Amino acid sequence: MSSITVTNLQKTFRAKRKAAGLGGSLRALVRPQYSSVEAVRGLSFQMEAGELLGFIGPNGAGKSTTIKMLTGILHPSAGEASVLGFTPWKDRQKLAYHIGTVFGQRQQLWVHLPAIDTFMLFGKIYELDDKDVKRRIGFLSEAFEIQDLLETPVRKLSLGQRMRCEVAASLLHRPKLLLLDEPSIGLDVVAKQHIRDAIRRMNQEEGVGVLLTSHDAGDLEAMCKRVIIVNHGQIVYEDKVSNLKRKYLASKMVEVRYAEQVSRDFHLDGVEVLKVGHYGVKLRFDTHQTPVQKVLSHLTEAGDVVDITISDPPLEEVIARIYQEANPT
Amino acid sequence: MKKYWAIFSTQIVNSLAYPGDFLGRSVSIVIFMLIFAGLWRATFAAAGTESINGLTFPNMLWYLLMCEVIELGRPRVNRVISEQVKSGEVAYLLSKPYNFLVYHFFHGLGDGGVRAVLNLLVGIPAVWLLVGPLPTLIGWGMAVTLAFGAWILHFCMMSLIGLLAFLVEETNSFELIYQKAVFILGGMLLPLDMFPGWLQPITKSLPFAYMMYAPARLFVKPDPTLFWQFLSVQWIWIVMLIFLLGLAYRSSVRSLAVNGG
Repeated sequence: MSSITVTNLQKTFRAKRKAAGLGGSLRALVRPQYSSVEAVRGLSFQMEAGELLGFIGPNGAGKSTTIKMLTGILHPSAGEASVLGFTPWKDRQKLAYHIGTVFGQRQQLWVHLPAIDTFMLFGKIYELDDKDVKRRIGFLSEAFEIQDLLETPVRKLSLGQRMRCEVAASLLHRPKLLLLDEPSIGLDVVAKQHIRDAIRRMNQEEGVGVLLTSHDAGDLEAMCKRVIIVNHGQIVYEDKVSNLKRKYLASKMVEVRYAEQVSRDFHLDGVEVLKVGHYGVKLRFDTHQTPVQKVLSHLTEAGDVVDITISDPPLEEVIARIYQEANPT
Repeated sequence: MKKYWAIFSTQIVNSLAYPGDFLGRSVSIVIFMLIFAGLWRATFAAAGTESINGLTFPNMLWYLLMCEVIELGRPRVNRVISEQVKSGEVAYLLSKPYNFLVYHFFHGLGDGGVRAVLNLLVGIPAVWLLVGPLPTLIGWGMAVTLAFGAWILHFCMMSLIGLLAFLVEETNSFELIYQKAVFILGGMLLPLDMFPGWLQPITKSLPFAYMMYAPARLFVKPDPTLFWQFLSVQWIWIVMLIFLLGLAYRSSVRSLAVNGG
């Protein structure tokens, strides 16, 4: 059964244009000029109930605009969408009882109050029984490891702690669908892992469907089963995450910094040396051809490692490869 | 309705999050009343009379206290909406199962209610010390009833200005114009009874008179006939503005563009 069905969804914004400087400002006052920005251009896709779907793309791809249309906050310029049987922009309040939302760079928790106060308020807003709210807070605080944070004013929490509370708050009313818009933005590795683990657990234990937007391929690998990649408001790729990983995310980049100067030849079969200096090196390799273990052994033999970073290729690069394969000429 | 009561009570707790700052700000009403006392004492002395258009010096100070309490307790909903639109947090408010405007009504009522009570607690002893005892109980009853209506009128006007934020994001300039209109046409600068005869009926037909003048005037000079007259006109304006607000909301929510995607 589908929880989301989107057909030819479009959103065009009217953006004001202004030339630089005082002259430009005065001209814009007398004769304002506008340009159309096509944020979403005819998206169509489906999401099954309980599915973990990644909706990824670079900045400005139209991911957040799509999520805001699916929650009913934005009205589309054209097209149709059904979320849990509701048309979001027509039935926004009714739909709100069944979905949870997290917008990574915004906050729904009241900053001057401890998170527990917002949780109790949300209990009333979602018309839950007080006893049930307390039970639910107990469960969520264990799942998100926020027991010790609930009575601290939100403004005193770190970003990672606050985001754990934000996601937990959005699950208080047992939504059938969780719409996460860049939930890991700005978080460190440990905080990202905490949130990813808790969301996976909620999906497994409660069957909550998750639509996740991100420009971090790591979120996708850690949480999602299927992926839709969007760019310039259009779908450029739709497949299982395992296939995407096999085809496009097999390449890794590794950057190493040494305690002392090293003078080693870093060349190895299947490894491309991107940058080499006295104290460090940056390599790219394909995990199908050269195992990670082999590359790391090769690097650690060269000297005392003080820092090491392994990263996925940037999404822009993945998208460029997808385009290249679709249009080989 | 329980959810809106919860929003109201949570906002009261939120308003008291910084008690020191809150108490500090409420001292400002004492400073205002001292300035008004100096100005009006000089005015009455220059006029060489005990009363001007039926208002004595003590009446005047109690009148101005009520005006100040209403002004300092009025909702700042336009600033809140504008800030939410600019920061993109409006996305959260619109994705919750409540009416956006009713949410702001109870949120503002919690905030304004606490400020009004605290300003009364500080302002009453100050004015009592300056000019003598409180107005009558009936004056209080009429003033509180009309002050609640005045708060709703303010809410409607500030929300209309706030909804402009969906289109223009920044609404401070509109608030400034509105504030000056209330200051003059609402009878805060001068009670409307002191306006020229030809101007009084005009000002009393506008909504501004029912945001300040009506509750403050009946606070110091209770009059049952005037009370019912003021209350009826006030509620006609409230009904009209709520209707207008509903139309404006439906139209502006369609043109919302949330910042940051």
